Amino acid sequence: MIEQNLKELEERSIFILREARSKFKNIAALWSMGKDSTTMLALARKAFLGKVPFPVIHIDNGIDFPETYKFREELTKKWKLNLIVAKSEIKPEISGFSCCGANKTEALKKVMKQYKFDALIVSIRRDEHGVRAKERVFSPRDKNFRWNYKDQPAELWDDYSSKIENEGHVRIHPLLDWNEIDIWNYIKKEHIPVNPLYFSRNGFRYRSLGCTHCTVPLKSNAKTVDDIIKELKTTNVEERAGREQDKEREYVMQKLRALGYM
Amino acid sequence: MLVENVTMLGHKDHGKSTLIGSILMLTNSVSNTRIEEAKRYSEKLGKSFEPAFILDSLEEEREGGLTIDSTRAEAKYKDLAFEFIDVPGHEELIKNMMSGASFAETAILLVSAKPGEGIRKQTKRHVFVAKMLGIENLIVAVNKMDTINYDENAYNKITKLIGKFLSNIKFDGIIRYVPISAYNGENIIRRSDKMKWYNGMPLLEELYRMTKGAGKKDKNKFNKLRAVVQGYIEDGNKKLISAKILNGKIEKGKITFFPGNIERYAKKIILKGRAVAKAGEGSSVAIELDKDIENPRGLVITKEGEEPIVANKLNALIFTLAKLTPSSKIVIRFLGNEVKCNKLSIIKHIDTTTGALSKKSLIEPLNAGILDLELESDIAFERYNILKSMGRFSFYIENKFGGIGIVE
Repeated sequence: MIEQNLKELEERSIFILREARSKFKNIAALWSMGKDSTTMLALARKAFLGKVPFPVIHIDNGIDFPETYKFREELTKKWKLNLIVAKSEIKPEISGFSCCGANKTEALKKVMKQYKFDALIVSIRRDEHGVRAKERVFSPRDKNFRWNYKDQPAELWDDYSSKIENEGHVRIHPLLDWNEIDIWNYIKKEHIPVNPLYFSRNGFRYRSLGCTHCTVPLKSNAKTVDDIIKELKTTNVEERAGREQDKEREYVMQKLRALGYM
Repeated sequence: MLVENVTMLGHKDHGKSTLIGSILMLTNSVSNTRIEEAKRYSEKLGKSFEPAFILDSLEEEREGGLTIDSTRAEAKYKDLAFEFIDVPGHEELIKNMMSGASFAETAILLVSAKPGEGIRKQTKRHVFVAKMLGIENLIVAVNKMDTINYDENAYNKITKLIGKFLSNIKFDGIIRYVPISAYNGENIIRRSDKMKWYNGMPLLEELYRMTKGAGKKDKNKFNKLRAVVQGYIEDGNKKLISAKILNGKIEKGKITFFPGNIERYAKKIILKGRAVAKAGEGSSVAIELDKDIENPRGLVITKEGEEPIVANKLNALIFTLAKLTPSSKIVIRFLGNEVKCNKLSIIKHIDTTTGALSKKSLIEPLNAGILDLELESDIAFERYNILKSMGRFSFYIENKFGGIGIVE
């Protein structure tokens, strides 16, 4: 896994976050309490003089891990976050595609409408998935949250020109250029708090965090941030190998994202 | 690790995605899961293994056998990492090609040696646009050598023609030529036994040397401070200016904003949350001023007495996706702001597939031209050859992306 220059990545992300803030009136960020969106919040604190100046949304289906809820409460207090919890309905009989699609995306739609957000910061990375690699930094969604991946706006140099189309919103992707290992190197450098589920317990750890229904831990003995960095340097396992929704059908990620998923 | 962005260029089906797929496999830069998935899907479509599927991950791309939008993938080679940017080769997808290619300074141009393919319109157009986007180094990879029995003469013919075109369009960067078979992995990482007549290095080695050499290039001596304002950041009841440094260094003291020639005093420079004495190129800073400025977005910050060019008239080389006439209504996007163009005069038409200049009353789609533009208001800029980031713009025709321009 290739380690990039953290200073350059950091500068770019700060630029993107500030660009988003000066272009849109009412922005919010998704926060899953995972490593990426927490790193994004740390970057926002650097960009905006120690504060996170926008609300953070947790799409809560009630079945996240207890550690995740605890981490949410602790960091919300410590970083004085303006947390919005958007409850998503969970039905035991549906999972995977329908769960992430119907439940999470619907909850997101509701909260975006309620608060009239015009831009949403989402901490996806290009190296996570082939479909996410196709994304723009500023990526418009129409009012039904649809992603028109066949006709994305031009995005040249560092000019992020996307505008809101048909009463929709714009997704902002400040971490698009980061690799998984860059996130961990940055967590180490900046002492960013992390959800304890990432560390190995009884020979297993979570490498990518979803909810309790669809995420399985992977074999690992990495008990510290340093161990994780070491592990990532040699692994040949994909980051999202423990995420069920990525596998159940061909192009499931593409379909989920086209419909408004993260 | 130093990461060099490298964009692919070339006509559709000349092997851009296949080449990146091959490189990823030959350098062990892709997981087995991803390769297995691409293999499975190739079988499902009744094809032999298609390395391009490692990159092309949309259903429409695989079913249709084309790249729709640009994507990126990294590969390690020696002490460097290359970030390969795949772009679509179809004419109607040139907007996506431009979005991808604008991140790179180095490009690999794919030209298929297969009979009936050869140098096509998009082969040339891509180079023309890439040069305008900032590409300085070029590797011409003559691909599908396996389809012509690795024939030296056919290779020489193609390189001669490309060389002529590159000199016609005044491509003045470093150029290297490599014969390859992307599909069979010939001459990519190791010298090919099938092309003993070729004296140069394999593709990745050429790329490596090019990148290493490029770093030492004597940069333009231009070292004046140029920063562009993004907007305001609130800090309690204080308002700070946020700005990105495009060139030079910023320090506390007297600074001037253009257009407008507004003088201020920078009391404090904050970089990533900390007050600093100075900050350099590429940094995003927050600046505490002695007095606020109204609507600062897009203003250029300089040191006292080091003003940029400020004008509402520009002479520009442009590349357009749609037809341009003197009555076209265009808006330029420059340093994060939009500026309306009131008057547009066409000086020269440039055919992007030959480099030929002519006098015409319009610019044909997918071609270039020299224009005189008269903007609604002044902008602060530099000529492209002095400072790229302040000498380029994109433009929109009737709210649709129209193309790019550079100030000559």
